[in-house]
Amino acid sequence: MRCAPGSNVSERRARLGHIGTVLAAISSCFLAIQAAGSFPTYANAKEELLRVAGEIGRPGGRIVIALRSEPKTLNPLIAADATSREVIGAMQADLVHINRATQLTEPALAKSWKMSADGLQYTLTLRQGLKFSDGRPVDIEDVLFTLRVYLDEAVHATQRDLLIVGGKPIAVRKVDAQTVAFTLAKPYGVGERLFDGLAILPRHLLETPYREGKLAQAGGLGTPANQWAGLGAFRLKEYVTGQRLVLERNPYYWKTDEQGNRLPYLDEIVFLFVPSADAQVLRFQSGETDIISRLGAENFSVLSRQARDYTMADAGPGLEYNFLFFNLNELGEKAPADMARKQSWFRSEKFRQAVSLAIDREAIVRLVYQGRGAALWGPVTPGNPRWADASIAHPTRSLDKSRQLLAEAGFRMAKGESAEPQLLDAVGRPVEFSIVTSSSNADRAKMAALIQDDLKQLGMRVQVVPLELRSLIDRITQTKEYDACVLGIVSFDADPNSDLNVWLSSGGMHLWNLSQKHPATDWEAEIDLLMEQQLTATNAAQRKKSYDRVQEILGEHQPMVFLASPDILVGAKKSIGNFRPAVLEPYVLWNVDQLYQRNGAENARR
Amino acid sequence: MSTRSRLLLCVAGLGALHLGVACAGFFAPYDPTAQDREHPYAPPMPLHFVDARGGFHLLPFFYAQELQAGTFDQYEENRSRAIPVEFFVSGAPYHVLGVFPLRIHLLGGGDVQMYLLGSDGYGRDLLSRILFGGQVSLLAGLIGAGLTLSIGLCIGTVAGFWGGWKDEVLMRVAELFLALPWIYLLFAMRAFLPLTVPPLKAFLLVVIVIAAVGWARPARMVRGIVLSAKERDFVRSARGFGASDAYLLRRHIVPETASVVLTQAAILVPQFVLAEMTLSFLGLGVPEPVASWGNMLSSLQHYNVLVSYWWMYLPALAMVPFFLGYLLLESLLQGSYATSKIE
Amino acid sequence: MTRFLLRRIAHAVFLLFGVSVLAFFFTTFAPGNYFDDMRLNPQISAERLTALRADYQLDRPMVVRYLRWARSVLHGDLGLSFAYNTAVGPLLWTRARNTLLLTGTATVLTWMLALPLGVWSAEKLGRPADVALSWATAVLLIIPDLTLALGLLVLAVRSGWLPTGGLVSVGFGGFSAAHRVRDVAWHMVLPVTVLVASALPVLLRHVRAAVAEALEAPFLRAAEGHGISRGRLLYRYVLPAAAHPLIALFGFSLGTLLSASLLVEVVMSWPGLGPFLLEAILARDLYVVIGGVLLSTLFLVAGNFVADLLLFWVDPRIRAEASRR
Repeated sequence: MRCAPGSNVSERRARLGHIGTVLAAISSCFLAIQAAGSFPTYANAKEELLRVAGEIGRPGGRIVIALRSEPKTLNPLIAADATSREVIGAMQADLVHINRATQLTEPALAKSWKMSADGLQYTLTLRQGLKFSDGRPVDIEDVLFTLRVYLDEAVHATQRDLLIVGGKPIAVRKVDAQTVAFTLAKPYGVGERLFDGLAILPRHLLETPYREGKLAQAGGLGTPANQWAGLGAFRLKEYVTGQRLVLERNPYYWKTDEQGNRLPYLDEIVFLFVPSADAQVLRFQSGETDIISRLGAENFSVLSRQARDYTMADAGPGLEYNFLFFNLNELGEKAPADMARKQSWFRSEKFRQAVSLAIDREAIVRLVYQGRGAALWGPVTPGNPRWADASIAHPTRSLDKSRQLLAEAGFRMAKGESAEPQLLDAVGRPVEFSIVTSSSNADRAKMAALIQDDLKQLGMRVQVVPLELRSLIDRITQTKEYDACVLGIVSFDADPNSDLNVWLSSGGMHLWNLSQKHPATDWEAEIDLLMEQQLTATNAAQRKKSYDRVQEILGEHQPMVFLASPDILVGAKKSIGNFRPAVLEPYVLWNVDQLYQRNGAENARR
Repeated sequence: MSTRSRLLLCVAGLGALHLGVACAGFFAPYDPTAQDREHPYAPPMPLHFVDARGGFHLLPFFYAQELQAGTFDQYEENRSRAIPVEFFVSGAPYHVLGVFPLRIHLLGGGDVQMYLLGSDGYGRDLLSRILFGGQVSLLAGLIGAGLTLSIGLCIGTVAGFWGGWKDEVLMRVAELFLALPWIYLLFAMRAFLPLTVPPLKAFLLVVIVIAAVGWARPARMVRGIVLSAKERDFVRSARGFGASDAYLLRRHIVPETASVVLTQAAILVPQFVLAEMTLSFLGLGVPEPVASWGNMLSSLQHYNVLVSYWWMYLPALAMVPFFLGYLLLESLLQGSYATSKIE
Repeated sequence: MTRFLLRRIAHAVFLLFGVSVLAFFFTTFAPGNYFDDMRLNPQISAERLTALRADYQLDRPMVVRYLRWARSVLHGDLGLSFAYNTAVGPLLWTRARNTLLLTGTATVLTWMLALPLGVWSAEKLGRPADVALSWATAVLLIIPDLTLALGLLVLAVRSGWLPTGGLVSVGFGGFSAAHRVRDVAWHMVLPVTVLVASALPVLLRHVRAAVAEALEAPFLRAAEGHGISRGRLLYRYVLPAAAHPLIALFGFSLGTLLSASLLVEVVMSWPGLGPFLLEAILARDLYVVIGGVLLSTLFLVAGNFVADLLLFWVDPRIRAEASRR
């Protein structure tokens, strides 16, 4: 417009008026957009969410679940006990996740990944536009920070050893703002499964404690809710000492259901601390808790009999395997004489096979698990069909065959003082030994008592010595002063690699002969070789072949006499939807983001 | 009935009960450790006198119990065959007083397991386990209570009677003993015991340790009594007559403590037996397969046993006559002591 | 009097020091350590555990560890918990408070019931009422408190009248102040019942025995002759004479305020010191255990102190002797 000199003021006023109108228009546009809630949609359009298949649920509601003890920390780096891991699992998320129902990997925070042809490099692409539970954005730097912290020796992360492949920690490299590359020293058959459980941590909260060396103290139970964040379905709301931990819905969670509704459905999870298993059963029955997990078989029967407004579910055999093993450690000269004699019995394979044939596994399943379990002849349970070797022998119990094997091994029967038959070894000494077991695990103590009676039929005098857990561990791993032991291991993944340290002769969990410098026997050397093969083979069929052979060797030489595996027994109120227990940990909360309350409203009684 | 005759009756009754337990091998139909895996948690078998056809038999008989198909603890009677209860049968071998081997049992069921009081989770006969268990539990209870009270009495008397620095030191030591976490010592001791120690000896060692450290309570109570007793007139006058300390203690002071000691004794024995339940909770109790009342009752801490298998309460019922007998004895003794005290 | 007080305080300090040293000794003696649980985890290597142990200074000699711990006690921290990775002190205070709520109420109730019942029972010694009470207490004595606790819980579930454990209901945050008090009281009914039921028989029997003995004393006859009423007689004359064993017991009641309710707390999931310490003992969380032991010792010392004071006050004979010395 032309500036007429004489009309400056009015023109300026008019111009101001124009600018004002435009500004008003723009700001009202912004206000309108904000009011419509679509200002976040501006970010939403770039937020790459994961659409999850499954039943559509209704939002709202709360579930209450009891835990056996308090979680000790919310920090995934130092959490070692199962309770802490269960709570953390609902609050954190990983790059690649193992779906507990199918036992296969699926994309999580990483929307896709590629493995290089030689199997040494994995390139993962992070989802864009995601936010932590406190609203701060997630980027590739958080991933890099997380990996650096996990791999840092000074932090002592409990999962650090999982990230050491081929003797060297994996190398992490940023490719671009969306992609990160991991380089391994050797090809890794397990593949992307190694990322499951590696929670991506918020750099904005943890970088300072890390630099000050106080990372282990971060995320303790007393942390205020606004100073802790994660990428999981729920975030911390409240913690009351000794009583309960309350999690609330994470509004920035990056998964939606098939209709596009943002998960999770539930508004709150309340964890109650109930130290006694029987008290947990009572609370579930009275309706104070909604879900009960990992019941014993007897309590399961009682609850099933009295089912009113809840259903009980038997998810089938889990991944726990219980076994009896003998002390085959090289004790050297400082071993007492009777220990050397006993070891001469234990080292005889025919002796171990005879023991295995004499054990009544069917009675164990029936009396200890009330039939809700499976007899085992190898470490792979029926709950892991992908890795079970169908061809290994399942010999039926036969006391005659046992006696025959013992006779072949040089043992013979004789009449003892109390007119009871006794087994004598080649030198004429009676076969007597003790089985130690943990006093806190009633099931294994029962198994030991049943085995004791079975071996009495063979003329062996066995004493069951229940020891408190840490004394037991001290004996088995430090002083090695024991004869035989009944123990159990719960594999945390279906993949055989999760128990690598048990089968490798140099492994720290190679219980019958710990941490050998060189394999003590030929077959242990063969197992070492096979485990190495399956570790580095990238072909699934090749891995299965190697591991099948391992199972055959274990069956032939019986370093561990496998006993039984319990079913996963759980229960939930009928009002809980999408309740699908799995046989991998966490058994009931693995799909906590999809659980919902059918009647939608809060439990009115509380 | 005079106190004296009541006392004799009570002692006779207790004696009979203890004799029954001591001869557990005879009264029990089976070996307490013999498992029967086909009959876990079998309910007690009712004894019949009238058979299915209405005929009356002088001697009782029973029917075999079999598991209902597909269940794990539901049983039904097999009425096709009536099995008479046999008396004075030859059964599992046992030792009287650990020395004489015998095989004769009061009752038996022939070739079929007779569960007069039901069976436990391994199918072991509960009646036999209760009888043999009594041996272990009563022994532990009596040894434990006796040890605690003896030590407590000695120390309390010394502290109360001589007073002064002895009293101070002993009472501080008593506090120390009360304060320390003996659980750690018990765990450590259990863990360091060689594995070849028989389970019973290991358990008795635990009991002895508990008794040896538990003297503080009775000691303090005794001390209180002795403190006031030694100022009583009759004691002062006896001293005036030239009585020595030993005479005073034996004749005047210690009898004053009788009331407290007796009360404590009657309470400690059941407490020791029941403490075994807690010890089993922590893994320090009597291990398998030895039977004891404490470890049988510890199965009652499980909810399902509590509600489904009522016969597992029976060991508690078996304890009742013993403990009531002790308490009655204590009452009667208190009464007779009171009348015979010197005033 | 002041000398007596000072002496006792000195003794208390000495005792606490002695207990802490012995507790350190014991805990080092017991086999195993906190990290052993991780030893049976196939994911964690043995080297990591050695590194962790060094990090938490578990491999240092006992004296060094004791001195460090003593220093942290002076700061009020009472050492570090391996499991929670925080100072032990705050972990203990809240839970101790919850336990004291329970045991304090139970102790008050027990004594309030035991004294009158015991006196009455001693009066009616040998008569049917007394015999009936004797039998009732004998039966209560024999029932193990674990079974009683679980039995009451089953009753609560079946009837639905009482909550099955815990300190508060789930919606506690939203309750009004009055509702909160009612909620806690409601949750306290079952555990307090169990505690009273297990402590009452013992106390009752002692009260009865002591009062029965005191009733034999001749001075009572004289007092009756003076025309003093029965009630005043019983409570102002007989009870103090019978007081010695009872005072010792009272001292113990005070002294075991923190430890008496362990099993009940575990079964009824009461958030007290009991389950926390039990877990720490089993997990070898050393400083938590030692902290708990010290706290219990403090109560014990206080309890005995109160008992001695009461003894002094109640029995003129002891006062006379003390003033003579």
